[in-house]
Amino acid sequence: MTQDARVQDFITSFERLRAEVEKVIVGHREIIDHVLIGMFAGGHVLLEGVPGLGKTLLVKTLAEGLELSFSRIQFTPDLMPADIIGTNIIVEDTDGRKHFQFQQGPIFAHIVLADEINRATPKTQSALLEGMQEAAVTVGGASRPLPAPFFVLATQNPIEMEGTYPLPEAQLDRFLLKLRVRYPAIEELNTIIDRTTQAQAVTVERVMSGARVLAFRELIREVPIADHVRALASTIIMATHPQWEHAPEVSRRFIRYGASPRGAQALVLGAKVRALTEGRFNVSIEDLRALAAPALRHRIILNFEGEAEGVDADTLVAQIVEAAEAVIAQGKEAFLR
Amino acid sequence: MSHPETLDRLIRRVAKQVRRRRIEHYALRGAFWGSLLSVLLLVVKGPLDEWALPLAAGALVLGAVAGALWGGLKRTSVADAARLADRAWGLEDRVATAMDWVGRPGRPPLVDALIADTLQRVERLEPRQTARRLIPRDGRLLPIPLALAVVLALAPAIPVPSGRLPDFSLGGEEEPQEARAGSPLTDERARPAARDRLKPHSFEERDFATRGGGTGAAMSGDLTAVFKDTALSGQRPDFQSFLKKGDERLKLLEQADRLPDLQSDFTASQYKMMFRKSKSLSGGLRPDQISPQKLKELLEEMERLGRKGGANWQGDAAEGMEALEGGEPDRALQAMQRALDKMRAQDEASRSGKNLKGGRESQRGAGGRDRGAGDGGAYEDQDFGEGEGLMPGRGRSSSPKGEATQRLRGNPYDVGVEGESRRGRKDGYDTNMTGRGGQMGSRLQYLGVVGQYRKMMEDAIARESIPRDFHSQIKDYFQALDER
Repeated sequence: MTQDARVQDFITSFERLRAEVEKVIVGHREIIDHVLIGMFAGGHVLLEGVPGLGKTLLVKTLAEGLELSFSRIQFTPDLMPADIIGTNIIVEDTDGRKHFQFQQGPIFAHIVLADEINRATPKTQSALLEGMQEAAVTVGGASRPLPAPFFVLATQNPIEMEGTYPLPEAQLDRFLLKLRVRYPAIEELNTIIDRTTQAQAVTVERVMSGARVLAFRELIREVPIADHVRALASTIIMATHPQWEHAPEVSRRFIRYGASPRGAQALVLGAKVRALTEGRFNVSIEDLRALAAPALRHRIILNFEGEAEGVDADTLVAQIVEAAEAVIAQGKEAFLR
Repeated sequence: MSHPETLDRLIRRVAKQVRRRRIEHYALRGAFWGSLLSVLLLVVKGPLDEWALPLAAGALVLGAVAGALWGGLKRTSVADAARLADRAWGLEDRVATAMDWVGRPGRPPLVDALIADTLQRVERLEPRQTARRLIPRDGRLLPIPLALAVVLALAPAIPVPSGRLPDFSLGGEEEPQEARAGSPLTDERARPAARDRLKPHSFEERDFATRGGGTGAAMSGDLTAVFKDTALSGQRPDFQSFLKKGDERLKLLEQADRLPDLQSDFTASQYKMMFRKSKSLSGGLRPDQISPQKLKELLEEMERLGRKGGANWQGDAAEGMEALEGGEPDRALQAMQRALDKMRAQDEASRSGKNLKGGRESQRGAGGRDRGAGDGGAYEDQDFGEGEGLMPGRGRSSSPKGEATQRLRGNPYDVGVEGESRRGRKDGYDTNMTGRGGQMGSRLQYLGVVGQYRKMMEDAIARESIPRDFHSQIKDYFQALDER
């Protein structure tokens, strides 16, 4: 298969999967694209939005469109780590002898929906950490690998904070992208009403296997990136750090801690997937601009002033990207350098 | 694998365009600085004579050529050219990425697809200008020195100052030296510096501010001149005395209406005014370039002043006017100079060290320095004795400040702390008081704790990043606590 054909195959599969999801989900094209980008980049995605916007439905539909196992965990305050990763239970064999047997938890699935993840205690939330980062869990001293591809989609409600446990920074950092699900437009709302209040059953076809997902992940890592584009990605990450010598004023003023190197990885990997979906064989600066907010918004920790003034992370990231481009350009026309 | 020919060709094309733009850019900058040099040369074209124009033109051309050479010799990197090509044709970093990766060993297979895709797109490109023209700020200002240079080239040469001041006196009338005989200033004037010889004595400006009437050698701008006619003129500033009862000089300065009227003494004299006018009339000009109209106005003004005060220069001023009307400006200038000399003589005669004593104070007659004593001891004029004054608990003042114990009830915080200090440790939180004050411990503890927290608050505001908007709120809160 030629490279062109591989790329074309990816684009076709991506568009078919998106079309299947869009059979159920109305609007939210950007959210769907970013969820798929997160999946093909090999990361996990956190969906944030008020109840009723279709976050859970989006994930369920995506799982239906893939030939992959799916499990849903509803996070509650009394959920225990063992409820997620599983536990050893005593079983009796045919000879009447008893022994321990590992009972897999719901995390042992290709696609895991962690619904309302911020409702569980930090202890339970942290049970996801190892799985998300290492694609393996340790139970009773034995490490057990999770199936590949392993993809966690978590949802959380940003407005109802009573009785919730906001995700710690370490866990937030493990999500490749954080997406904000917004209210649909009025036309989309009309379509939602039509589609969900009539007796028309929507069937989602399975269009992609796990093996193909893994193959596409390899293809994505082959996408070349130019030196100056990579330098811009690094500069964006550095510009989120208020201590950096070229940090823009907004970073110095509103940010306490900037993005980690994982942020740079997320930015570049996401940009690679986006480049391929656009039919391009290389990462462009435009890809970085498009992925900067979802890849960095949860990795920037505001200081007191930023919190007090209600600074929007997306606006902040946009300003940082602009400042980073200015740093790269050194304030001069390219031909004068 | 070498760079595909198509990509190389594109890069060369872009680099060529960049070079052309750079040449334009730097040539404009060079021309600007060259034109400035041209202007300078044309300003002094008198001495340069017929060489001025060729030199100016040469400077302009040289500047432009040097700039163009500088711009033309600068190298354009392949990466820059590739990025410009991407930007110009909307290739979304394809060319730059292809150029980056094409020479790398072990590149992924997708790079070949990228190069093929890029070549395909590049071959379809329409020729286009990739580097936009960027006119430097110097270049935008270039028309100004150019226009200036043209004007200077067409205009006659600007006369270069010879270093000799015009001699308006013509008659070279000697200044009456005896009027200031014996004064230190006269001694100085008797040995004028070599440069001063060029200056006619009659037009010398006198520094009246330095004319010491007292003992000190007062410098220009020195406040001792203010006290020269007071009893303080001979006293040196005494810090101990200041601590005890305040510096008498400062007290005197606070009473502005008792100070000598320096403005009327030093700047508002008729002679001074006329002298300045005559100087501005003739400064930097030859006698034949003096405006007759202005000279006439000056003479009229002198005559008016003379008429008003019955002075002796009225005749000279009138004579000057007649000479001017008769078309004899030289004679008019001589008359003006005579009148000016007479004005100065009268001014100096009326001025002496004693006159400084009065000022506005003397105009008011009895309302002078002794007014305080005469008013029966107004507060600000009291003469406190040693160890007395405005410090709390000292002096005979009837103000609330006085004996500290007498002021106890004047402050709301003091309420309820009356009592006697007990022996022993005094740095605790309790009142250290006996009697009624000792029973009010809680109130004092509260005040003490509030003070500690206020200090912590101020430290926190200074150290931590708290939004400025919140500073005032936090301070208001502590202020409210204080008022309890």
